[in-house]
Amino acid sequence: MSTDETRLAVRIAKIAKSYGPTVALDSVSIDLRPGEVHALLGENGAGKSTLVKILSGVVRPDSGSMSILGSPYTPHGIVDARTQGVATAFQELSLLPNLSIAENLMLPKMPRGMLGLASHRTAMASAGRILQDYGLAHFDPDTPVGVLSLSDRQRLEIVRAFTHAAKLLILDEPTAALADVEWLFELVRRQKALQTAILYISHRLGEVRTLCSRATILRNGRSIGTVELSGASDANIFEMMVGRSAREAVNALPATGDTAPIALGVKGLSGGILSDVSFNVRQGEIVGIAALEGQGQRDLFRTLIGLTKAKGGSVEIDGVRAQIASPGAALHFGNGLAYLPEDRKSEGILAGLTTASNMVLPIISRIARGGIVWPAGERRVARETAAAVDLQERYLHFKIDELSGGNQQKALLARVIMTGARTLLLFDPTRGVDVGTKQSIYEAIRKFAADGGSVLFYSSELPELVHLAHRCIVLYGGRIFAEYQGDAIDEQTIVGALIGHARGTKTEVAA
Amino acid sequence: MSAIAANTAPRRSPFWRAVISGTGIVALIYVLLYALYAFWQPDALSVYTFTDLVNNSTPLALAAAGETLVVISRGFDLSVAGVVSLTNVLMAVYPLDGPGGALVSLLMCCAIGAFVGMINGILVARLGLQTIAATLGTMIVCQGLALVILDAPGGTVADFVTYTLTDTLFGVVPIAGLFLVAAVVLWLAFRRTNTGIGLYAIGADEQSARFSGVAVSGVRITAFVGAGILYGVAGFMLSAQTATGNPTAGTPFLMLTFAAVALGGTPLSGGRGSLVGSILGAGTLMLLQKVLFSGGVSSFYTGIFQGFVLVLAIVFGNTVARLLKKDEAR
Repeated sequence: MSTDETRLAVRIAKIAKSYGPTVALDSVSIDLRPGEVHALLGENGAGKSTLVKILSGVVRPDSGSMSILGSPYTPHGIVDARTQGVATAFQELSLLPNLSIAENLMLPKMPRGMLGLASHRTAMASAGRILQDYGLAHFDPDTPVGVLSLSDRQRLEIVRAFTHAAKLLILDEPTAALADVEWLFELVRRQKALQTAILYISHRLGEVRTLCSRATILRNGRSIGTVELSGASDANIFEMMVGRSAREAVNALPATGDTAPIALGVKGLSGGILSDVSFNVRQGEIVGIAALEGQGQRDLFRTLIGLTKAKGGSVEIDGVRAQIASPGAALHFGNGLAYLPEDRKSEGILAGLTTASNMVLPIISRIARGGIVWPAGERRVARETAAAVDLQERYLHFKIDELSGGNQQKALLARVIMTGARTLLLFDPTRGVDVGTKQSIYEAIRKFAADGGSVLFYSSELPELVHLAHRCIVLYGGRIFAEYQGDAIDEQTIVGALIGHARGTKTEVAA
Repeated sequence: MSAIAANTAPRRSPFWRAVISGTGIVALIYVLLYALYAFWQPDALSVYTFTDLVNNSTPLALAAAGETLVVISRGFDLSVAGVVSLTNVLMAVYPLDGPGGALVSLLMCCAIGAFVGMINGILVARLGLQTIAATLGTMIVCQGLALVILDAPGGTVADFVTYTLTDTLFGVVPIAGLFLVAAVVLWLAFRRTNTGIGLYAIGADEQSARFSGVAVSGVRITAFVGAGILYGVAGFMLSAQTATGNPTAGTPFLMLTFAAVALGGTPLSGGRGSLVGSILGAGTLMLLQKVLFSGGVSSFYTGIFQGFVLVLAIVFGNTVARLLKKDEAR
C-alpha cells in the first residue's frame, strides 16, 4: 500500500508527548486521506485523549511532525487549529451551560452589530441557520445550554465541531450520550463527501465498522498499526489493542442455585419513579438490571444504599431488616452492602489523593495503628486487593486523577470489595472503560461471586448483561417488567422487554 | 433523520426574566425599604435626602460593581480594601484643586486600581495563584503603602472634589449618581463584547471555555483590571464624601462588597450575575442603615439587620430559582 504524500489530507508522524516522567505518547503516526473516516482504537490510557488534544491545538507535542495537505501544521491554540480547518467534538463536552445555544455556537467571537457590540439578532439568525443545516431546526438558539439533555448537548458539541472542520474533523466518543446515532452517521457521510478527513474515536466496534474504512490502533502511546476494517476480525483488533488474545467469557450458573441463602431481599420497594419492586439476590449470585435511560434504575440503587428515601417497602440484608440511612450505614447491616457509584469523577474518586488512599478509604479505621494510618500499612492493604481487580501495583502511589478512566474504575471496584461487604451494588461498572479493563472487571466480579458474594449491577450494555448475569431483571417505567434466567438471557429477548414489548419468554423482533 | 424534541425551556419575555432574576429581587427589596423609609421620615422623598443617600452609597456601590466582575469569573478579589485605602490617602495627602485637578486625581485613582488589578490578573492567570491568595497579598501591600503615606487619619481632600461631587446637577440629579449610571452603561456595553461573554464562560467552566476558544488568561486579567479601576473610582468618591484621608478607610469595604454582590443576586460560585444587581445591593445595605436610624433602632443593631437581609435575600432568590427549575422540568 503506497500513498502519495501530497494526496494525504493529514499526516501525523512520530508524535511524542510526556508529562514529567509519564509518557503519554511514545510514537504515533497516522495518515488520513481526504474524505476518509478513520477510526482510532485503543484501550483507555493508550493515549487517544492526548493525541486529540495535540491535534486540536490544546497541547503541544514534544517531538514529531504534523502536516495538512502537505504543508506543516503546528497549531498554537484551539482557535488557530480552527482557522486551519481542524475542529474537535470533545468527549467531555466543552459547552458553557450558562450561555445560550447561539452564544456557544459563536464562541469565541460574536457577530457584531451597531457600535461594534455583539448583535443578539445576528447571532440568533446565524445560529438558527447552522441548526437548520444540521437537522436541529427544532432547537431554539436562545435556549441556555444548561437546560438541554445530555444527548442534546452532545449533538450541539458535534454540530459546533462540524461548522469549523474544513480539513480535519475529530469526533471523540461522539455517541457516548447520543440518543439518535443515525443523525450523526448522516452528517458524517455528508462531510465525507466534502473531502474532510474524519478521525473517529469510539469504543463501539459496530459503529466503527459501519462508518470507517480503516482503523489505527494505539497501545501504550504507540500506533501499533493501521488495518483495513473489512479485512480484520473483531478478535484481530482486540488482540492489537490489548496485546493478547481475547478470552472467551463463560458464565456458569452458581453451583448453589436456588437453595443458597438470600443475601439481599427487596419487597415492594417504592421511591422516586420506582413502584412496588420485589426481588432477591442469593449468595453467590450475580443479578443484572437492564433498563433504558430513566426507567427507575437510578432510584433503585440510590434507595437501596440510602441516598434517597424509600416511600414504601422493605429491604433485608442477610435476613436482617435494614433501615439504610446512608452508604456508610449500609456497610453494617448483615454482612454489609457496598455501592459503586455511577459517575466516577464526581461521586467516586477523591482527586488529589493517591490511588492507595482512595482504595482504603472505607476501612481506614480498621487499618489505623494508634489512630494513624501509616503509609506502609495503607499500601500493603491496597496491594492485596489491587491484584484481585488486575490493577498494576505501580499505580498505587500515583494520584488517582493521573490514572486513566479504566484504572480509576478498577481502583474504585477494589474499594468496594475492600469494605468486606458481601453484597455489592454496581451501577454501570464498565461505563466508558475499554475492552481490556472490562474483562478485568468482569473477572473480579465473577470471582467475588464465586467466593459466595452477591452482586446486583446495572449496565447500559446488553452484551455485558448477557455475559455476566446469572439472572437479569428488566425495569420498565419503574416496575419489574420481566425476568430472565441463565440461557434465557439473550440480547434480542432483552431488547424487546426494554421497550416494554413481550412480557415473558418469546419476543417477536420486527425484521 | 428523526426529530427528537429538544426539551427547551418555556420562553419568557426579557422583562419577566429581569423581574425574576436576582436584580429584580434586590430592586424590589430596595423599593419596599424606601417606602418604609418614606413612612418614617416624610422628607425621604426630597431631593436633598435622596442625594445624601446616593452620595453615601456610591463608594460601596462602585466597589461592589468591581467585585462583581471578578466574582462572575469565579474568583474573589480582596484587594478592594487596599485600593480604596490607598487612593483615599493619596487624595487627602496630594489634593489637586479645580476641575483639572479633580480630573487628574480621578485618572490617578483609576491608574492605581488598574495597576493593582493587572498585578492580580497576572498572578492569577499567568502564575496560577488562587484568587484569594493573590489578592490577599496585594491588599496587604496596598494597605501597608497607605500607612506609609499617611500614618494616621488626616489630610484634606481638594474642595472642588468635596463640594462638586456631592452636589446635584440642575438641582435634581445627584452627581455621584452619574458615576453609577456611567458604570452601568459601560457594563451593559461590556457584556455584549467577546470579552464580556467570555467572562461568563470562564466563570461557568474554565476548561470548556478554553476548548471553546475563549482566551481565558486575557479575560481574567481584563476582569481584574476593570475591577481595580472601579475600586479606584470608589476610593475617589469616598474621598469626596469624607473630605479627609484615613489609611484604614477601605477595611469596612471588604465584607460589605461581598455582601452587596451576594445581595444583588450574583452567586459567589461564578458564571452568573449582574453588576446592576450589586449596585442595588450596595444601595440596599446603605438604605437599611438609614431606615433603621429613622425607625429609632440603635445603630449598634445595623450589622445584625444587614446580615439578616442578606441571608433572607439569598434564601429567597434560591427558592425562586428552584421553583423555576421545577417549572422547567415539567
